[in-house]
Amino acid sequence: MSIDLGLKQAAGTRAGSFNEREMQICTVARLVEDGKTYWVAGGGGPMYAVLLAIKLYAPNAQYITEDGVIAPEPMLPFEPVMTMVSSRAGYRALAWGTMNTAGNHAQLGLMDYGLLNTLQVDQHGNINSTAIGTYGERSRRFGGPGGADSIAALCWRTVLMTDQEKRKFVERVDFISSPGFLDGSQGARERAGLPPDTGPYRVVTPWAMYDYTPDRKLRLVARSPWVTVDQILEQCEYPPVVAGEVGLLDGPTEEELHILRTELDPRGQNTAERSAWVVFDGETYTRTEG
Amino acid sequence: MRVLAEGTSAYLKVDPDGFRAHVRDHKQRALTPKLMSAREAVARFVADGDYFVYDCNYFQRGPSTLLREVIRQQKKDLWVCGKFTYVDVGLLVGAGCVSQVDCGFFWPGATIDKAIADGRVKAYEYSNIVMTLRLQAGAMGLPFLPVRSFGGTDGFEHSGAKLVEDPFTRQPITLVPALNPDVAIIHVQQADRYGNARVFGTGIAHQESAMASKKVIISAEEIVDTEEIRRDPGRTSIPYYAVDAVVHAPFGAWPGNCAGYYGSDTMVVVETFAAIARDAVGEYVAKYVTPFADDAEMFDKLIGQDRLDKLRAAETITEGYRA
Repeated sequence: MSIDLGLKQAAGTRAGSFNEREMQICTVARLVEDGKTYWVAGGGGPMYAVLLAIKLYAPNAQYITEDGVIAPEPMLPFEPVMTMVSSRAGYRALAWGTMNTAGNHAQLGLMDYGLLNTLQVDQHGNINSTAIGTYGERSRRFGGPGGADSIAALCWRTVLMTDQEKRKFVERVDFISSPGFLDGSQGARERAGLPPDTGPYRVVTPWAMYDYTPDRKLRLVARSPWVTVDQILEQCEYPPVVAGEVGLLDGPTEEELHILRTELDPRGQNTAERSAWVVFDGETYTRTEG
Repeated sequence: MRVLAEGTSAYLKVDPDGFRAHVRDHKQRALTPKLMSAREAVARFVADGDYFVYDCNYFQRGPSTLLREVIRQQKKDLWVCGKFTYVDVGLLVGAGCVSQVDCGFFWPGATIDKAIADGRVKAYEYSNIVMTLRLQAGAMGLPFLPVRSFGGTDGFEHSGAKLVEDPFTRQPITLVPALNPDVAIIHVQQADRYGNARVFGTGIAHQESAMASKKVIISAEEIVDTEEIRRDPGRTSIPYYAVDAVVHAPFGAWPGNCAGYYGSDTMVVVETFAAIARDAVGEYVAKYVTPFADDAEMFDKLIGQDRLDKLRAAETITEGYRA
C-alpha cells in the first residue's frame, strides 16, 4: 500500500472465508494506536475491534467504557448485552468509576480516540441514533445518543463504524444525535461550545475507509479488494471526495478470525450477524450476498 | 450572561432553594431504621406525577424488583429519566406509568414508538452523560452545570439546555439545567437499616441520583449490620441521611445481573427485549408482575430456587465485590 493509512500490517495467512462484519472489525483493530486511550461504545464492533487490537497489534492501548471502567482486562466472552456494569466486563480494571468519571475524563482531554457504531452518518460525520424521518412528525423512533454524543464531542479523534448502505450513508442525517463537523464550516464545533481540535477522524465500513480533508470533507481513501470505487459510490447518498489513490485494505488473517470467533464472540452475537460472505482463494476475493 | 441559543423543550423546574427547603424539612438527620417492604416503600414514596430516576437498568444492577412494584401499583404520569436504559422505559411506558421521558438512551421498539406517535408520551432529548451531569448539578445544590458536549446537536434544540457566552473565557459554553428528581430508586449490593449503602463495581450515577432526589428508595441484596459499615467507611457509596427507605431485595436486579452476586437470566433478558419490540408489555406484566403479591412470591412460584442458585453459581468473579 503506497499511501499511509496508519494501519498495522497484519502478518500471517489470509483467511479463506469470512463475513464483511469481521472484515470491518479487523480493519478498525489495525487502526488502533498503541499507547493511546480509547473510549469505546458499549458492546458490538467497537469493543471487539479494540480487544482484538490489544491482543495482536497494540498491547498498550487502553480503553474505558461509559460506566467508568478504566483499562480492564475483561473475562471473555461477555454474556449477551452485559458489556457494561458486569463483573466480566470490568474484570481486572485499574479503576472503577461511574458515568461522570468517563465523561469528565474525556472532557479533560484524556481520551485520545472515541470508537462508535452508528445507525446513520452524514458527509460531515454527524451521527443519528434518535429518529429516522422528520423528527416529531413522521419518524421512526430510535434509542437516542446514549454515550455517543459525549464520545463524539470530547475525544480528540472519533472513529465511526457504519454500514455501506445508501440509506445509512447520507448527505444530511435526519437528526444530529452526536456531533461530527456539524454544518462542515470552519469552527462550527467551537461555536457550539465543543472543545477545539476534536472531531471525526475515520469512517470504516465493511467496504471502505474514509478520512476527512483539511476542510472537513469526507474522503474515500481505501477499499476492500472485492469492491470497486464505483460500487462504493453507488452506496453513498452524497458523493465523497475520492483520494487520488484509493488504497487496498487487506482481508482478515486466520489469526484475527480465530481470536474473534473463539475468544471475543464465540456465540456469533455480533460477528455472525447478517452480512455478505467473502471467499478468498489465494488470489481473488469473491463476495456472496448473505 | 449572553444567551446565544437555547433548546425549546420543557424541563423539570430548576429550584435549588426549594430543594434545600425540602432537605431541611424532610431528610432525617437522626439514625432512623428505614427497613420496609418494596410494597410499602413504593406506596409511600412514589407518587403519580413524580419525576422518577432509577440507577443502572433492568439488566445491570438495576432496581428491577422496585420497578416491578411501581408497575404493580400502577403509578401514573411519571416523568422518567431515561438514561443508560435498555428496557426500563419501554416497560414503564407499556405499563401505562409514563407521560414524559428525558432521553439519554433507551431500547426502542413498537411500545415506545406508538406511545410517542400517539402523543401519550412526550420525549425530550439529551444524552446519557448530559443526564448524569444534570443530576450532578442537582446533587451539588446548583441551578445548572456547564458542559463541553451536547452543543450543536439536534438534541440540544429539543432540550432545556442553553448556549451562552462564558463570562470567564468569552467562549461559547453549553449550560444544562440541574435535575432534582422527586424520587430515586437504586439497587445496591449492601445497605444497613439506616440506608448507608454500598455499591460494588461500576455504576452510572447512584451517588448523584441519591443526593439529588427528594425521596430515595434503596433496595439491597444484603442488609448488613451498621458495625460492618463502620468497619470500612470508605466503601459507603451513599450515606444514610439521603435515604428514605431501605428494602431487603435478594435478586432485586433479576433478570439482570448484580455484579459479584449473580449473573443475568439470559432467557428472560431476551424475553424482556422481545416484549418491548413486539409491543407486548401487557403480556409480560401479566406473567411476571400482576399475579404475585411481591417478587418473593414470583421467585417462589415462577422461577424456583434451583434457577436462582444457578444464576448465583454463574457469577464466579468476586474480586472487588465482596468486603
